[in-house]
Amino acid sequence: MSGALEVHGVSRNFGGLMALCDVTFTVKEGEIFGLIGPNGAGKTTLFNVITGLIPPTSGQVRLRGRALTGMQPHRIAAHGVARTFQNVRLFKGLSALENVKVAQHCRTRCGLVSGILGTRSNRAQERRVEGKAREILELIGLGDRADDEAAQLPYGDQRRLEIGRALALEPSVLLLDEPAAGMNASEKRKLTQFIREIAARFKLTVLLIEHHVPLVMDLCDRIAVLNFGELIDVGPPAEVRTNPTVIEAYLGCE
Amino acid sequence: MGQFFENNGFLLVTLVQQALLALSLYFPMMAGQLSLASPGFYAIGGYIAAIVGTHDYFAPWRDALGAWIFPLEWLLAALVSALLALAVGIPALRLRGIYLALATIAFVEILRVLSLNLEITGGAIGIFGIPQLFEARFAYMLIFAPLLAATLLFGHRLERSRIGRAFRAIREDELAADAMGVQTTRYKVLAFAIGAVLAGVVGAMSAPFLNTWNARQGTFDASIAYLAYVLIGGSRSVWGPVFGGMLLSALPELLRPLKDSRLIINGLVLVLVSVYLPQGISGACSRLLGFSSKRPSGSGELKEGA
Repeated sequence: MSGALEVHGVSRNFGGLMALCDVTFTVKEGEIFGLIGPNGAGKTTLFNVITGLIPPTSGQVRLRGRALTGMQPHRIAAHGVARTFQNVRLFKGLSALENVKVAQHCRTRCGLVSGILGTRSNRAQERRVEGKAREILELIGLGDRADDEAAQLPYGDQRRLEIGRALALEPSVLLLDEPAAGMNASEKRKLTQFIREIAARFKLTVLLIEHHVPLVMDLCDRIAVLNFGELIDVGPPAEVRTNPTVIEAYLGCE
Repeated sequence: MGQFFENNGFLLVTLVQQALLALSLYFPMMAGQLSLASPGFYAIGGYIAAIVGTHDYFAPWRDALGAWIFPLEWLLAALVSALLALAVGIPALRLRGIYLALATIAFVEILRVLSLNLEITGGAIGIFGIPQLFEARFAYMLIFAPLLAATLLFGHRLERSRIGRAFRAIREDELAADAMGVQTTRYKVLAFAIGAVLAGVVGAMSAPFLNTWNARQGTFDASIAYLAYVLIGGSRSVWGPVFGGMLLSALPELLRPLKDSRLIINGLVLVLVSVYLPQGISGACSRLLGFSSKRPSGSGELKEGA
């Protein structure tokens, strides 16, 4: 079975710091894949490399065989890779609805002139975008807050809105950077359920960074463990949990 | 009433003209780009109109077209501004924030020095005796007012369109916009070019209005003045720059009886508004009227912290 997302020999230096060192793994189609590791292990750097925000020093990222490395972030997004950010990066001054609408940008066509003139095709497109955006807001439970400014939403809603925005991009691969950060136990349970739901409903391949180990163990089909930029293990949760190197690096010595 | 317009025709048209120039800064700002290049494009537009209107080379055109030469000047100014905006914008818009502002100031300065030294722009003396479109000053409202109306309609529609959403997404968080599939460079250049075209056309309309055109038309002072219009009026709606432009260009005239102290009051208004109404007057008004309270949002650089 071929991989949805292949990370092949990816390294990234920041000056003298080796943030990623020859990382190679393959995420299978439809998998929920966890990425764990202590702070500074290079998890977010890896996300930034995959989404094109940072070029790798060496190595390649492939999406179903197509090389993403060297593409600009918006082109990678157009190929179906959407993400959320560790420190929520919504368009704060825009409404929740508009945040979701923006992400449909590369799925829609109408240009400047038809937008200004308000042509029929433009109006039809705007109706579709609006309908889709409202549908997504309903899905993430923010249907009644469509017109609220993103910055005014409570933190948990902002995190969900960011996932909603990513979904509006109609991705095939969804990258979630610490989606459960700052959530309490019951919110975490709901989130786990929610990620499962959207993965099944939109046929997504999900790659997620998470610190909360029980959540990762429960949710993920397979897990990759990073430590100081190096991949130290990849495998199903039960296997990774018992790997002594992983326990030492991440879960702490017993 | 007619007497009032006759006496104040120049001032009233100037208010509209300054509002338009303020709007030329607003469009790049909609995409989060602080560009101070407008006076440069304004000057170019004016020189195009002045040269087409006075140079011997264009005499057959003028004879053939009559008054239609004026719309041709506007069109030419728009075209040249658009092309120049692409040439300048594509490299310059790689810069952010204050660095972009500095680069655009340099652009204005280069054009100013060039026009001071080129023969075709009349050197330091400039070009004068530019043919008039109308007799009375106030009649120029017939071209400036429709342009303002058209620009406002354009801005209003733009804001609600797909492209306008992309602009605002870039303003809020360029990196996130990029990651969400918005071609950031393309839209930043587009926003810059829209502002440039507007400034160029206003320049081409202003050259006949002012009758003479010289290197003093596009200066650093003007960059700062237009920026003040937008800051005072507010940069979050099309009405802000219009309001700011009109207010700040009317204020010195309204305060004329106060003689020299008017400059102090002018400066005080600037300081007070920027301290107490950080979103400008239009921002404060919309909040008073109960619209959404928009906070200025910081968009930090890419943060590391995996």
